[in-house]
Amino acid sequence: MIAGPVAAGAAVVAVQRRGRRRPHRRSHVVTVFRPLAELEVTQLPGSLKEITDGVEIRLAEAPGGRGTEIAVRIPEGSSVTDGEVRRALRETRSLLEAGDVLLPSGPPTTVPTALNRPLQMATQHGREGGLL
Amino acid sequence: MRALQWQGVNKLAVGTVPDPQLRNPGDVIVKVTRTVTCGSDLHLLGGYIPFMEKGDVLGHEFIGEVVETGPDVRNHRAGDRVVVSSFISCGNCWYCDQKLYSLCDNGNTNPAITETLWGQAPSGCFGYSHAMGGNAGSHAEYIRVPFADVGAFGIPDAVSDERALFASDSASTGWMGADLSGVKPGDVVAVWGAGAVGQMAARAAVLLGADRVIVIDRLENRLAQARQHAGAETLNYERDDIAGELRERSGGRGPDVCIEAVGMEAHSPGPQFGYDQLKQQLRLQTDRPVAVRDAIHACRKGGSVFVLGVYAGFVDKFPLGALMNKGLTVRGAQMHGQRYIPMLLDRMAKGELVTEHLATHVMPLDEAPRGYRMFKDKDDDCVRAVFIP
Repeated sequence: MIAGPVAAGAAVVAVQRRGRRRPHRRSHVVTVFRPLAELEVTQLPGSLKEITDGVEIRLAEAPGGRGTEIAVRIPEGSSVTDGEVRRALRETRSLLEAGDVLLPSGPPTTVPTALNRPLQMATQHGREGGLL
Repeated sequence: MRALQWQGVNKLAVGTVPDPQLRNPGDVIVKVTRTVTCGSDLHLLGGYIPFMEKGDVLGHEFIGEVVETGPDVRNHRAGDRVVVSSFISCGNCWYCDQKLYSLCDNGNTNPAITETLWGQAPSGCFGYSHAMGGNAGSHAEYIRVPFADVGAFGIPDAVSDERALFASDSASTGWMGADLSGVKPGDVVAVWGAGAVGQMAARAAVLLGADRVIVIDRLENRLAQARQHAGAETLNYERDDIAGELRERSGGRGPDVCIEAVGMEAHSPGPQFGYDQLKQQLRLQTDRPVAVRDAIHACRKGGSVFVLGVYAGFVDKFPLGALMNKGLTVRGAQMHGQRYIPMLLDRMAKGELVTEHLATHVMPLDEAPRGYRMFKDKDDDCVRAVFIP
């Protein structure tokens, strides 16, 4: 029922973003609530380790005691996708902070229908999408 | 096991689903002993939050008994009687460190949906759509509770199941509204909505020392509960001049704190209700913000407005001019239950906070579709329907 206004709002956001798009790909960044002194680029856990060779990773102290900013930039020509970076950053943050990556409920209680197929496709990639 | 499943807009059924399994080392499995309807469920039921799948299990406010624990669980063991916060939080990210548990960075397995809608993703919630993680809900015989050392709390022997149930969400949500809106001794506090959350917000304001607490609704049975159990004054918006009464009862200043506990399906006797409903039905706005508008207009200069009701997206005719020119502080949040539940259980044990009266209808889980119909239509003065699996 809210799909119409949500789509309209999302379209406004998308237009605003297109208007600001820079010629080069930006970095994807998360802030992890761990001190910079505890982290090393080569020792980051999780799926970020798997894509290390295809991306540039930078660590910086976050202001205000918020921990460490992990910035990942995909260089020109890399085969790593934005979705893979988003997923890796989210999983790495969770591993560093919580020691684990939360899995969805299971076994599933839902049944596939024509109506929920788009939602199921979206949630299958729940950590790859978004704005990160 | 048996569970109440969302089958489509305004369609619920009790069916058989697989038993939940431990998925992470910090999980526990809880045998649900009581689980209760919430007004925010009606937004899912009515299709106002379009991130449900056929077969999803509803329910986010519950208590139960731990029956299985993951290897990393330290605070619970089988047999423990627990109340569980409706939001799922890791306890270790910056937001959890700030006690903003519903904003946890690691508790939502589908952050993309809400991040795209709202800019950043809140945490996950039980039984509250795939935008909030797609976690199976509590209207079932068993439920998986992730990060159980953070979100599940042992219930003291002095607190009955009937009372502890509402610490899970209603009482912690209401207390949060009063706390984070800054209620202090001497304040005049107005609360829109006399449902469970509104009553709990009013009771919290009383316990925090407010001089006058005034609850607004149209349902006399709920207003009577607010007077009797929260110690509040009441106004009926179908009968009383709300703006005038609030002005008069606050010495012409307006309430210091206005707490909105209504949400996106608000009613009102005036023409703005028809306007909002038409725009909502035409998909030109997602939410009906009647109570928020009224709260902003009523609030004193420099006062505080807290939005406790659930909203999904966009609203029209938002009084931004009043907000800015009166110097208001407007704040909102999903509930940070982990922050408040231990304190609430302590107050419940002392008898300062009572909740049993909210459970106006108690029935077996198999009758849950009937319970939701009663709850939605307010039949038989239903305030909350509680299900026993």
